[in-house]
Amino acid sequence: MIVSVDWVLGLSAILFGIGAFGFLARRNIILMLVSIEVMLNAVNLSLVGFSRHLDEPTGQILALFVIAVAAAEAGVGLGLVIALNRNKPGAAVADLTGLKW
Amino acid sequence: MSLTFAQFVFAYLALASVASALLAVTRRNPVHSMLWVLSLFMHVAGIFLLLNAEFLAAVQVIIYAGAILIFYLFVVMLLNLPDEEARPRFGRHWPFAALVGLSFAALAWLARTDVALPPAVEAAEREGPPLGSVAGLGEGLFGPFALPFEIASLVLLAAIVGAVVLARKRGEKR
Repeated sequence: MIVSVDWVLGLSAILFGIGAFGFLARRNIILMLVSIEVMLNAVNLSLVGFSRHLDEPTGQILALFVIAVAAAEAGVGLGLVIALNRNKPGAAVADLTGLKW
Repeated sequence: MSLTFAQFVFAYLALASVASALLAVTRRNPVHSMLWVLSLFMHVAGIFLLLNAEFLAAVQVIIYAGAILIFYLFVVMLLNLPDEEARPRFGRHWPFAALVGLSFAALAWLARTDVALPPAVEAAEREGPPLGSVAGLGEGLFGPFALPFEIASLVLLAAIVGAVVLARKRGEKR
């Protein structure tokens, strides 16, 4: 085994923490979505690490599904951002105070 | 303990991806953030290569860096966010967000140290196509994971339709 699974899991935990921080702290919707991508990448990393550790392709297949869901999430999320931006220019979450527009 | 070459490469990739992720969530200019995320995706693809996930590394570069990230960049440039530079990047509650991120990483690590993993399986011990090859993943996708695979295509279809409906101009009839 070239790289211990613990290193990969530690890196994955750190990346997920950074993504969670970005999602909670940024005020721009697009950058919040990008932070979600960082978190999804961290999850993929731990799936692939386990897949290597156990020598099982299942983890890599699950990572493929995560990538497919990330693509779907990016499409819908950015469609929402465009729709919101049409009504209220700028992409700051603080501006989105109305329940109806 | 002396570092082997692969461990040295892993250390570089890990440090570079943590630095890229940190810069990505803290840069003021959204385009700079996207470029740092691109760097993160490339370094994670490198780690996938080290972990015998060649096909996933290619998918990571083609789909994440090639498609998803360019999509984000398009939207950033389409929306033209002039006031992003002037406004504070973080909400006033950002120390709490940092606390959540730190405690999540710490808790995940504590949870890991509590679990005894089975010892690593060496690649030579198994039969069938090698780990991470297209053949190995394809056998899984069209075998035990055939139903989730079909559902993933349905999810993507729903996302396409949803994105078109959401981004269409309001009140526009065909």
